[in-house]
Amino acid sequence: MRPNALEAIRGVQGALMGVIAPELQSLFVQDTGQTVQMLLESLANEWDTAAETLHNDNRRLSGVLSAAAAALRSLKGPDDALSALAEDIGAGLSAEPDESLAISKLRARNVQLLAFLERTLEACEDGVGERGFEPLAPVRQAIYNHLREVAGRGWSFWDVMSFRERMARLRAGLV
Amino acid sequence: MLEAKIEAYLKAKLPTAEELAVANLWRIPGGASRETWAFDARWREGGQEVVRGFVLRRDPDASLLETERDVEFRVMDAVWSQGVPVPKMHWLERDGAWLERPFFIMDRVDGCETNPQKLLFEPRFVQAHSRIARQFVDILAKIHGLDWGALGLDFLGVPASRKDCAEMEIARWEDVVARDSLEPQPVLRGAFRWLRRHLPPPAQRIVLVHADYRTGNFLFNAEGEIKGVLDWELTHLGDPMEDVAWASIRPWRWAGDERVGGLMQRQEFYRMYQEATGLTVNDEAVRFWEVLGNVKLAAIFITGARSFCEGRTGSVMMALLGRNISRLELEIMDLMEV
Repeated sequence: MRPNALEAIRGVQGALMGVIAPELQSLFVQDTGQTVQMLLESLANEWDTAAETLHNDNRRLSGVLSAAAAALRSLKGPDDALSALAEDIGAGLSAEPDESLAISKLRARNVQLLAFLERTLEACEDGVGERGFEPLAPVRQAIYNHLREVAGRGWSFWDVMSFRERMARLRAGLV
Repeated sequence: MLEAKIEAYLKAKLPTAEELAVANLWRIPGGASRETWAFDARWREGGQEVVRGFVLRRDPDASLLETERDVEFRVMDAVWSQGVPVPKMHWLERDGAWLERPFFIMDRVDGCETNPQKLLFEPRFVQAHSRIARQFVDILAKIHGLDWGALGLDFLGVPASRKDCAEMEIARWEDVVARDSLEPQPVLRGAFRWLRRHLPPPAQRIVLVHADYRTGNFLFNAEGEIKGVLDWELTHLGDPMEDVAWASIRPWRWAGDERVGGLMQRQEFYRMYQEATGLTVNDEAVRFWEVLGNVKLAAIFITGARSFCEGRTGSVMMALLGRNISRLELEIMDLMEV
């Protein structure tokens, strides 16, 4: 169907800027119009790749969590909470995968995996510098590598203001 | 309609005013935690015509953060009496009957701007940067030098000791994240643990912390004067390094480079602050507070996003901010060096 969703969003942005904005009188409404424009930009930038990105993220998260579960099981000494976490991750990863590419389904899976990741990262942070927790160090780094990759992607209004030089360094591969 | 309601309120508050009329009501952009409106009031009193500009701050339908308007009013009133540049406060109204929601009214400071883009890029303000930077530091030093006990501000909650300031703030924001997150927050969860492992030295003294002291929250003019410090709703008693770090965090470096607030180099900021306060700026302590500052900002956005998603506000700003937490997470991980 044409115009497709992205083309339609761009059309809304164009109308907002070219037709509606010049008629806006109050500063508050003009400011709100700018915010709407930025929100649409944010949506337009992820529209085409949202499903693919979530699908890839979920695959990567499964890999990180699988390694995390193995590392948790390898820890010496009984720790009921960490054992339970390893079991929960194992059960979560072995659940029948939903083949749907609907974003809501992919996102639900992503949230489920992120909840495991959150618990795992907390365990890793609690183990920093502690004897016996050395197997979690590479897991911790793998988690942060993934989170950094996610945090630096896409479009953000920050990139043209306060984060301008920081994001330029990131995109140049300098950081 | 709002204009008429404000007029009725002022007539009740100014019983000796004759022919009182409210005009030129307009909503000021920004102010995500409260609606901010400017208006003119004109009346006759003792045979004289009086014309005054006021600002109304009204509770929103939902906010980035559920903050206490009484705190903002009482603290601004107290610091105004000590010469800190803030608008003079007039009336605090907890009863929603007048304007549908609670509000307060203060003087309007005319001839000033707050917009960081104007401050940092318009030539008439660029030439005043060094003067504004100096005042930015001096006013912060003045706030940190106030005798909050003598001003009756201990109602804000006095930390049990100087070493408790940091842990109190970690707990406060951890509670917000736990309460308002709609999805997992691994970066923030990891950061809270990192913060507890990297506690700063005890506060050098317990001061009145503004807690939102930054470029974008003060009224300035082209003469290089700061005429008003705004947005006191997060103020509390705590570690002065919290304000030093908050002013320095990347989100408030609007120029996109490393300058604090887009105005001055970090070492210059520290030097002036140390000279003005006699306090020492400790790099590791500031790093701790910068991590917590970015976490705090993310937590505030999370609260706004929840309000939007649950339909308690229609503010698209809340939606936009909620979708832009990722860069704060990147900054948190940079600062944690992970």
